[in-house]
Amino acid sequence: MGNATSLLTEADARLLLRRAGFGGTPKDTTKIAKRKLTRAKVVDGLFSFKPKPLKLKKDEGLDQFYDTWLQAMLKTKKPLLEKLVLFWHDHFATNNTTVQNSDWMIRQNGLLRMMAKGNFRSFLKAINTDPAMMDFLDTLRNRRREPNENYARELMELFSLGVLDEAGMPNYAQEDIVQIARAFTGWRLDDDDNPVFREDAHDFNEDFPERGPKVIFKDRAPFGASGADLTSRGEGAVEIDVVIDTLLLHQDSEGKSTVGRRMTRRLFEFFASASPPTAVVDEILMQSGFATTWDITALVKAILVHDTFYANAATPPFDVNTKKSVKWPIDYVVSTLRLLKVVPKRDKDRGVVLENSDTLRAHLEDMGQRLFEPPSVFGWDWEAGWISSATLLSRFRFARDLARNRDKGKENFHPEKLVSLALTAPGAILNAAAAVLGIADQLSDGDRTFLIAYLTDDGAQPTLNLNDPDLRARKLHGLFALLLECPAYQLH
Amino acid sequence: MAISRRSFLKGSSLAAASSLVAPSLLGNPFVRRAFADTIGDRYFLSIFLDGGNDGFNTVIPASNGGGSLRDAYDTARTTGAGGLNVSPSELTNTLIGLDPGSGAQLGLHPGMTGLKQLYDLGKVAVIQGCGYPRQSLSHEEARMAWQSGTPPGTNIGTGWIGRYLAANYGGNDIPGVCIRNEVAGEMRQTATSVLATSRMQSLRFPYDREFDSDIARKRAAFLGLYQGAAGATLPMSAYVGGSGVSTLLATESYNGLHDLYVNARGTFNQAYEDADRSMARDLREAAKVIYGITQGAENVHARMMQIANGGYDTHSDQGGGQSDGQHFDLLAEVGNSLKLFYDDCVDMGVADKVVIMVWSEFGRRVSQNDGGTDHGTQYPVFVLGGSVTGGVYGNHPNIDELALSDDGNTVYSQAAADSFRSTDMRDIYGTILKHWLGMPHQTILQNVLALDSGDPTQRWTQENFDMGFLA
Repeated sequence: MGNATSLLTEADARLLLRRAGFGGTPKDTTKIAKRKLTRAKVVDGLFSFKPKPLKLKKDEGLDQFYDTWLQAMLKTKKPLLEKLVLFWHDHFATNNTTVQNSDWMIRQNGLLRMMAKGNFRSFLKAINTDPAMMDFLDTLRNRRREPNENYARELMELFSLGVLDEAGMPNYAQEDIVQIARAFTGWRLDDDDNPVFREDAHDFNEDFPERGPKVIFKDRAPFGASGADLTSRGEGAVEIDVVIDTLLLHQDSEGKSTVGRRMTRRLFEFFASASPPTAVVDEILMQSGFATTWDITALVKAILVHDTFYANAATPPFDVNTKKSVKWPIDYVVSTLRLLKVVPKRDKDRGVVLENSDTLRAHLEDMGQRLFEPPSVFGWDWEAGWISSATLLSRFRFARDLARNRDKGKENFHPEKLVSLALTAPGAILNAAAAVLGIADQLSDGDRTFLIAYLTDDGAQPTLNLNDPDLRARKLHGLFALLLECPAYQLH
Repeated sequence: MAISRRSFLKGSSLAAASSLVAPSLLGNPFVRRAFADTIGDRYFLSIFLDGGNDGFNTVIPASNGGGSLRDAYDTARTTGAGGLNVSPSELTNTLIGLDPGSGAQLGLHPGMTGLKQLYDLGKVAVIQGCGYPRQSLSHEEARMAWQSGTPPGTNIGTGWIGRYLAANYGGNDIPGVCIRNEVAGEMRQTATSVLATSRMQSLRFPYDREFDSDIARKRAAFLGLYQGAAGATLPMSAYVGGSGVSTLLATESYNGLHDLYVNARGTFNQAYEDADRSMARDLREAAKVIYGITQGAENVHARMMQIANGGYDTHSDQGGGQSDGQHFDLLAEVGNSLKLFYDDCVDMGVADKVVIMVWSEFGRRVSQNDGGTDHGTQYPVFVLGGSVTGGVYGNHPNIDELALSDDGNTVYSQAAADSFRSTDMRDIYGTILKHWLGMPHQTILQNVLALDSGDPTQRWTQENFDMGFLA
């Protein structure tokens, strides 16, 4: 058993930089392993950043901001921030197709960024009155005459509790949604698009006695038979903060922190793999203290030093219990460009473009992920949801387009700078190329056989002279395309 | 009892999981076609009129019957410059049945002579007043409601056909093809593969063409890598592997359908070409798939197809019944393309095996503006095919000024005694699923379509999956 003080091996470092960032170069990971650092030490280093909103030039729209974000991901030395922002963008999924307001979407991105590693209680309270969210889930259209339940439902179902707890028992009832929806009446935006509470638009208990008092979670721990009164700190603007404080106190059918367990599970599934056992969730939650401090940094650190996380550094042959996750399209694109040291140019009209190909935004959309446009409030469908014939072909097209750029400017793909041209043995060339992409230890013996057969033309040329530009253009570029397409590289 | 939307999502992920852990299926990516065989070689096409088709000028009352539909129509749709009124005399060549609610004589828009011919053959169900509760006037939200088969605010991430596919097909199957570059919302799910390609000819594996000599070796390596993953014990590897294998083979099997069709069916191929309209061209792609299957094309098992055609957001310059109008042109394209495709299917011997549903995200405002119409609510859906029992189904919405909502739209109603009672989209879907795609009634309610809760006169709380247009 290992823990926070275990030393990070090179394989561990590769996994960590892949999952908490966009992958490490062989140089990065060798360096970490040589320095004999503990897991905790390296993870602390990943967290040493001070969040700032991305800068946007005046009059630039959402597409330009998207490009600015892409370029930030491609360049950043603190990729964990970007990973966290992507997680929160999915968690608090809001799409501009519905909102139709670039300013609000950009502002929300700033909020996700500032709160990414902060306090979850403050984060939820801030999301309550985030303009894009208020529009997306109808808080702006939540009227006292007929309270709109949209935000109340998603706040519990998706942002905090979840429908069912770890034991499969329901966490709340429709009546709880109704009462929370009432608490959220009266919130509007002022002329500067800042949230403002309008007393005259709020549903006060005395106005609608037939709706009963704003009490939720009756007969639930720890609230007891009388439940939690959302007006315990008075009626009006304060109610929505009381909602959040109440949700964070909620205990599931096993007497555990419902939000604590759910956020641990969600973040574990994002950084590590799907379906962690409840015991692992509980252990990480306890070690992090998240259920009392609500400190996101402490929770993510506890995940990133846990043994179960490092079990995913497993090498083939994998067994049925191995956990690997499908890379998100954004991860696929950004980590590929970073590892191959390709820096796409930003064209004034088109945006960030892969040379001789489409914009990165277009590639990503084809792969099934358009940032600022999660398909619904559920966010994107992870894991197998990323894989279809159409999205796979889009990944392959990106790989092909990237690798077929030969003898282009220095910001393009130049495998001769990534792999030593002195290598002649096909196995060694394969190892070197796979190492660049961080998957040398993820290829099975079978994978290697097929890739070497490709390199050697089925054994016709047992050694390769990479100094021959023609051969290099054919086989080294071709090998990288195959590696970018291979199943092992779709997973991490 | 209505089930939660979560159990829909669960249902589809469970279906995905079961396909992940069934090792016997891994060897052959197409082995799961067994299910397709149980419904026979039946096809279903979803045709989306993108933008919100003006239903009130698509199925038009030519008379009042026992009510006042024509009078109300004449009030809402003006004559003269910019007027959209289609006169009874303009409808003489496209008359269909009577409105069940009022007895008014109905006519198709004069541009739809092609569809009228199919109607006269008894192959077109004209289903009036289609919609869902709390209709959204936003294109996106309304489209998602129709695609997901759930009213807005339900926020379900999958499509109604997708949930059907997820319940019946495995991860390596390709039971659906969208004739466009993205997977259509109604097909969305994660359990099985849906191809998205606007042209069969261009569905290609992206080889680097600079070194043709390497392509065969590249293919061999790719297939080896993905077959290896498909056989892995790690479930996610197996899923990715199987998907990659089926994708590669699909680029090869579907790609050839173009030549197969063009070489064997020159006359029809030319007819689509001469029609020179995007809907006709897209339908030709569907015809290529179907023809390929009739010819035993290897590894082609699609059953569901989707086509979308834009231009229906006619806020201005819509035009009435004259042949130079914008809406005339759009509807002529629909009617003529469908007629051509149907004739092609007859000639291929599969007309009885194809059911087509033509839908839009909403209809348009009852009262016209200067020269067009704004977003509206209920509208007519067409279901057609050789096995369809043609006729008029469902009531025309109540377009009397006094009956309209504050924003001037017709109102959704499920009141049994209402002679303007609406047709809920889910009754159409359920009828298709039950009577065409062989899904049991209760399974539809459990896996695909959830009843609403609430006022039974204003919500869809009682299903009717036996609408009658499919036996």
